[in-house]
Amino acid sequence: MLWKPLHLVPAKTNIDFIGKRKLALVGSTLINIIALLGVFFVGLNFGIDFKGGIAIQVRAKEGPAHLDDLRHVVGGLGVGEVSLQEFGDPTTALIRIQRQEGGPQCVAGAQRIMQARAGEGWQVKPGAPETGNVDFTAPRALDGANWRDAVSRVGLTILDRQLPRGNTQTATVDMTHEQRAEWCQQVAIKLVEDAIGAKYDLRGTESVGPKIGDELMHGGILAALATMAAIVIYVWVRYEWQFGVGALIAMLHDLITTLGIFVLFQLDFSLTALAAVLTIAGYSINDKVVIFDRVRENMRRYKKMGLVELLNVSINEALARTLMTSVTVFVAVLALVLFAGPVLYSFSVAMLWGIVVGTYSSIWIACAGLVYLNLRPEQFRHEGEKADEKADKAKA
Amino acid sequence: MLNLPRWQTIGIIAVTALAVLFALPNLLPSVVLDHLPNWYAQSRMNLGLDLRGGAHFLLEADLRSLMTERLTNLSDSVRGELRKQQVQFKEVAVEGGRNVVITLRDEAQRSKALEAIRAVDPSLVVSGSGDTIRVGYSDQEMAKKKKEVIDQSIEILRRRVDETGTIEPTIVRQGDERILLQVPGIKDTTDLKRKINQTAKLTFHLVNEDVAATGQNIPQSLPPTTFLVPTREGMQELRRANPKAWEEIQNANPRLTPEQICRRYQPQCLPVLKRVVVGGEDLDDAKSTFEQQQGGRPIISFTFNSAGGRAFCNATRANIGKRLAIQLDGEIISAPVVQSAICGGSGIITGQFTTQQTQEQALLLRSGALPATLSIIQESTVGADLGADAIRSGTTAALVGTAMVALFMFIAYGPLFGGFANLAMLVNLLLVIAGMSILGASLTLPGIAGLVLTVGMSVDSNVLIYERVREEKSLGRSAFSSIATGYERALSAILDANLTALIAGVLLFGFGSGPIRGFATSLTLGLLTHLFTATVFTRMLLATWVRWRRPTEIVI
Repeated sequence: MLWKPLHLVPAKTNIDFIGKRKLALVGSTLINIIALLGVFFVGLNFGIDFKGGIAIQVRAKEGPAHLDDLRHVVGGLGVGEVSLQEFGDPTTALIRIQRQEGGPQCVAGAQRIMQARAGEGWQVKPGAPETGNVDFTAPRALDGANWRDAVSRVGLTILDRQLPRGNTQTATVDMTHEQRAEWCQQVAIKLVEDAIGAKYDLRGTESVGPKIGDELMHGGILAALATMAAIVIYVWVRYEWQFGVGALIAMLHDLITTLGIFVLFQLDFSLTALAAVLTIAGYSINDKVVIFDRVRENMRRYKKMGLVELLNVSINEALARTLMTSVTVFVAVLALVLFAGPVLYSFSVAMLWGIVVGTYSSIWIACAGLVYLNLRPEQFRHEGEKADEKADKAKA
Repeated sequence: MLNLPRWQTIGIIAVTALAVLFALPNLLPSVVLDHLPNWYAQSRMNLGLDLRGGAHFLLEADLRSLMTERLTNLSDSVRGELRKQQVQFKEVAVEGGRNVVITLRDEAQRSKALEAIRAVDPSLVVSGSGDTIRVGYSDQEMAKKKKEVIDQSIEILRRRVDETGTIEPTIVRQGDERILLQVPGIKDTTDLKRKINQTAKLTFHLVNEDVAATGQNIPQSLPPTTFLVPTREGMQELRRANPKAWEEIQNANPRLTPEQICRRYQPQCLPVLKRVVVGGEDLDDAKSTFEQQQGGRPIISFTFNSAGGRAFCNATRANIGKRLAIQLDGEIISAPVVQSAICGGSGIITGQFTTQQTQEQALLLRSGALPATLSIIQESTVGADLGADAIRSGTTAALVGTAMVALFMFIAYGPLFGGFANLAMLVNLLLVIAGMSILGASLTLPGIAGLVLTVGMSVDSNVLIYERVREEKSLGRSAFSSIATGYERALSAILDANLTALIAGVLLFGFGSGPIRGFATSLTLGLLTHLFTATVFTRMLLATWVRWRRPTEIVI
């Protein structure tokens, strides 16, 4: 043999994990409470996927990106709250703009765009206040085709039936307030394009209107609940109810602390971050299952052993594989954190944390929880014997 | 456990070979691919928009105001019919975008009023009591109308977006009132957005046969009733011959009139009378069909509404033998000769057409104006260089991740067993790539993350097996027996671990959109193929090795 395998974890360990359960439970409870308080009082840094809004990635045509300049210029466009950060390298910046509500500033912005893109003399005014209508005045009378062309420059569609017959100088585009808010997202993007286009390349733009943001938020919560429910049901069917409850508590622990990490570092909570959270929910169970499998096996083998001792034996026996399986995934995700770039950063960091905390909670939350859930070998003696009998019969 | 029938071994090797075959076009450099047959070299994974660069729009049609408008029209017809039948009413009004409410002066006239409503449209749903009658479209009718509007919008969008010369746009319905539009590899979305928002205008004009104007022979002055319009073929020819001129026309501000285009760039043009015979808003339908006699040539049939039909009847009766030009968006798409008076609201266009041409023309006729306004409610644009960056960083992360996992397995379990695990991991990766190529799934940046995660998770089953083998060995079992029992006993944990992760993957797929779906796809596929590599492939490796070497002592 050229290379002898290394036992990274000693083959035989005898650590009293369950004996320290009180310390772990108190510590974990505290951390979870802090994480929950953080989520409710500090709040997650929701990305535009959920909050709605605009994110534009720009790269300076020459030299580094001047964040202060950008903040000043974009902040002065009347598009609401603007935040900036360097993105990946010093030449690149990410501009975030809050979701647009469709106020009078947006209509004023639309007028500036029309004047810049369709010619001087254009006027854009809000229409009747109970509607979201927008009134356009052209410098000269236009026919239908030119009207359609003109308003398409601010991202609007005007239908023939909305235009008066013949050439006209004014036209009204019918909108509700909600539709105007969606349109104002487009107006804001164009304003930024016009304001910084000379010095910066727009590398990528993402815009999520108010409607989609709300829908994704609901969908995300639903998906998270469905995933947790499905996993718990699976464990419950495959194992006894105590394991199901233990796994659920441990999974909640993993998810809550992961959310805590998002709050602590103010990581961007976007759709990909949600994907990380749901994957952690699935992965968290992986680890628990490895130990639960061993606990069940030992319950049949050592029918007279006390629960605490039995759990300790099981955890120690399974320790090597619990740690090793975590390390392989940890190594892979570490590569994502280091090399996959800024877009996947929050995702990768969350996954990394999920793996570490999942290993911890397998031992101290899921298994220690079993002690309090009345899981006694006595219950198993019966079933274990039955299973043995069955096996004997099958052999015969 | 370790005894594998020969046919299973052959099956496993065949699946693995197929995976390699299907995954290869994704991995080979383009130099090699150039020498391979096209159908094989091109069967690759699609790159998602975030890697390839491109634009993604979610558009929402304003069906609410469209329906209100249709109900307003309905209330007009009902009012007219009631008057005609001499039914006295206080009011006919549209209510809440769903119904038209009629309030009668005299309850006794109710049955007469109902008769009048049936005369307007027998499929209307009528409710209410006493002096109030509610009239509305049935839910089915409403759904059908909405579907028609979205389908028509999709057709119009396809024509508009393809016209920009972009490649393979994806335009599909999403839910009841939304359209997803994806255009890979475009640089400037401003232009695209303008195209989406402009709507086409369809009009019918008579050709002024008294003016001779073809090609270069354009008379300096035309009669004031006549103007020049380029033909569609003429513009396409111009675009081929002189792309720069074509671009100038597209970018002109304000837009050039058709006549200006004819004079400046001299494409093939026709002199037509300015007076509009019928407008596109009066055209109800147009479809490609076949002639009854004369060998069933492909033709285009069209139907007008009553106002359009009347105008068309008068115009054709007076102009038999002349050409009728159909103008769409400042281009003449066709100018058939009027053979006879076309009354009765419908007509046909004949000519030397192929089926493809008639289908295209019918589509053009239908795509007059967008039936409802479309607003962009979600947008994501990725520049090509941003996509290239994402590919670079994604590839680096994937390679480093795989290498680190492989190294770890070598260190932990030695070259032999570590090697088996890494071989299984590579086969798993190939299977996922092959699977995605066959399914035509898109690889996104989160999808690459899913692949990396799959790599990390797929060696886990080997870890579970090996740890168990170590344990069985330390209990004093023989080499053969510890491998066999170790494998057997690790299996249930492997299955459980994979299935729980699979649940999360499948739910993510159901929920996610765009890039997230890419993550869910590669993760789910990775876990599924992993079930194959963990339960079957690894088993084959171990069994073959054990039978071949018959080890008495194993180093693990």
